[in-house]
Amino acid sequence: MTPLVRRGRCHVFGDQVPLDEGVMPFRFAIERVTDPKALIPHLFEGMDPGFRERVKPGDFVIAGRDFACGKPHVQGFIAMAALKMSVLCVSMPYKAMRRTAAEGLAVLVGCEGAAAFVGTGDEIEVDFSTGEARNLSRATTARFPAMPPILRELAGNGGMRGVLAAWLRDHPEQAAAKEAAKA
Amino acid sequence: MPTRASVDHRAGLTATQKILARASGLARVEPGEVIHPRPELIIIHDGYVETAYQQLASLGYGRVRDPERLVFVTDHEVAYATQRAVERGRSIRRIAKSWEVGRMFDVGRGGHGHLFPMEMGLVRPGMFLFCYDMHCTNFGAVGALAMGVGTEITAVLATGTLWTIVPHTVHVRLEGAMPAGTHARDVGFLLAKGFAEGTWNVDCDYRVIEFGGTGISRLDLASRVALCSSITELGVANVLFAAPPPGIDTAGAPDYLSDADAAYEARVSFDLSTVEPQVALPGGPERAAPVTSVAGQRIDHAFLGSCGSGMYQDFVDAAALLRGHALADGVRLFVVPGTTQTARRLADEGVAQVFLDAGAVVLPPGCGPCAGGMMGPLGSGEVSISTAATNHEARFGAKDGAAYLGSPLTVAASAIAGQIVDPRVPWGSARR
Repeated sequence: MTPLVRRGRCHVFGDQVPLDEGVMPFRFAIERVTDPKALIPHLFEGMDPGFRERVKPGDFVIAGRDFACGKPHVQGFIAMAALKMSVLCVSMPYKAMRRTAAEGLAVLVGCEGAAAFVGTGDEIEVDFSTGEARNLSRATTARFPAMPPILRELAGNGGMRGVLAAWLRDHPEQAAAKEAAKA
Repeated sequence: MPTRASVDHRAGLTATQKILARASGLARVEPGEVIHPRPELIIIHDGYVETAYQQLASLGYGRVRDPERLVFVTDHEVAYATQRAVERGRSIRRIAKSWEVGRMFDVGRGGHGHLFPMEMGLVRPGMFLFCYDMHCTNFGAVGALAMGVGTEITAVLATGTLWTIVPHTVHVRLEGAMPAGTHARDVGFLLAKGFAEGTWNVDCDYRVIEFGGTGISRLDLASRVALCSSITELGVANVLFAAPPPGIDTAGAPDYLSDADAAYEARVSFDLSTVEPQVALPGGPERAAPVTSVAGQRIDHAFLGSCGSGMYQDFVDAAALLRGHALADGVRLFVVPGTTQTARRLADEGVAQVFLDAGAVVLPPGCGPCAGGMMGPLGSGEVSISTAATNHEARFGAKDGAAYLGSPLTVAASAIAGQIVDPRVPWGSARR
């Protein structure tokens, strides 16, 4: 399996950041908004109103326990995936974790001490296949639990859509006839 | 994410392990293991069929992997209150034909997709299913394991399976009998609160809650459904009963019951005889509080039904309180039989007449107001008490409405009183 290594700047949050109103305003879940362009400007605005000015593609979210708790709405993860963001957290609910996997996000869970290892603005590099993390700003290293292979495969293939596109290439008998697809 | 750190290959198997091993073609599976089980049925409701189709069509798919296993149910929008709903129904029929779906339950056929498949024997003890909607955990009432996978159902449609982590199981031993005037929904709210608040120091995130103990022998199918439903929103992987309910045919079922020495992650004991009527305060089924703590709260809106309390016996219990009474002025009560079979039986046996005589509105089988308030919604600033599956903000319509949950008994008694009351003393406890 191809190694999954990401580098970016950190945004540090605390424990129990809720998906609704924390990661993304709840109204976008109610309205079933799935366009990343509409969602990105509102990412983490409930936690940090200045986030949209500072966030850059490839950045990391560092969080504590129970990250993305509450109903597992996908809108926040759609925006994070579009920005190719990654997550290091102490824990997150299973259903939220599945949503991150389906969107192809790179996530490490079980990162005790991550908030002490980095500060907001630090640049880090993480090898998700080994759990090795380097804080390039502080010249320190840490090791966290590696990303499970099934999740790494999903992240490496662009999430569920990437996997389904690959499946269709291997199973052309399930492809739509061209005229039917247009209908 | 569960780990395989504590695997004991000598231990007996839980029901979940047996069902998942069989569905995966494996001799044995362990909690934390990643598997790819093949479902016997795949169930999607009318609220997601179009989206699933569009998702797959946008990738170039024209066919699903196992159309004969696919079941479309129509329970979210059954009365077509808008032109858009009419168009959606037409679209779903076209998709069913295009995909050559095995079973299509259209408007007026079947009813609630979390209930009628058990009634008609489509979902049976020991079966494994993938479903779109999380409340498919109801099927644990007959001993079937149905995983509600949400939007990932498109992967099941395309590939016939989905990566699945074998969950740990928490055993909940129910002892004793519920006192008169209480109901399984009251037990469900109390259990949800206990898990959410850590009363038993048990993590229920992605755990199967398996009910056992002598107390389950007295629980009929409706009571079991109520228990399965009430704890689902906590994020459990599933809910299962350790023995089939009375009246459910297990002939031909695989060996699916947990072994006596099954390796449960944790064990909890709960005495049914200690239960008192509860409400769930607005915000979720786990926000249980004694009904007496909110007695006297004025109500505008009430409904009986949903996947949590839509079985025949739920309505019989509520009707016993309503018989000979009229609803309080200003209260509208919607009665939503879970299934077409239940609706027919309520009519045939005179139970529906009790509701009509009281001034209630009987709606077609399905989800009723619980599906986003598409029928019988809660208005701005109004207060509701119902047997809905959940009561999160805006669940029945207005964001600024207050939605309480209660048992069918509490809802019926409150609808008569015009305020939330204890169903054991429905007219004596209300503070008028």
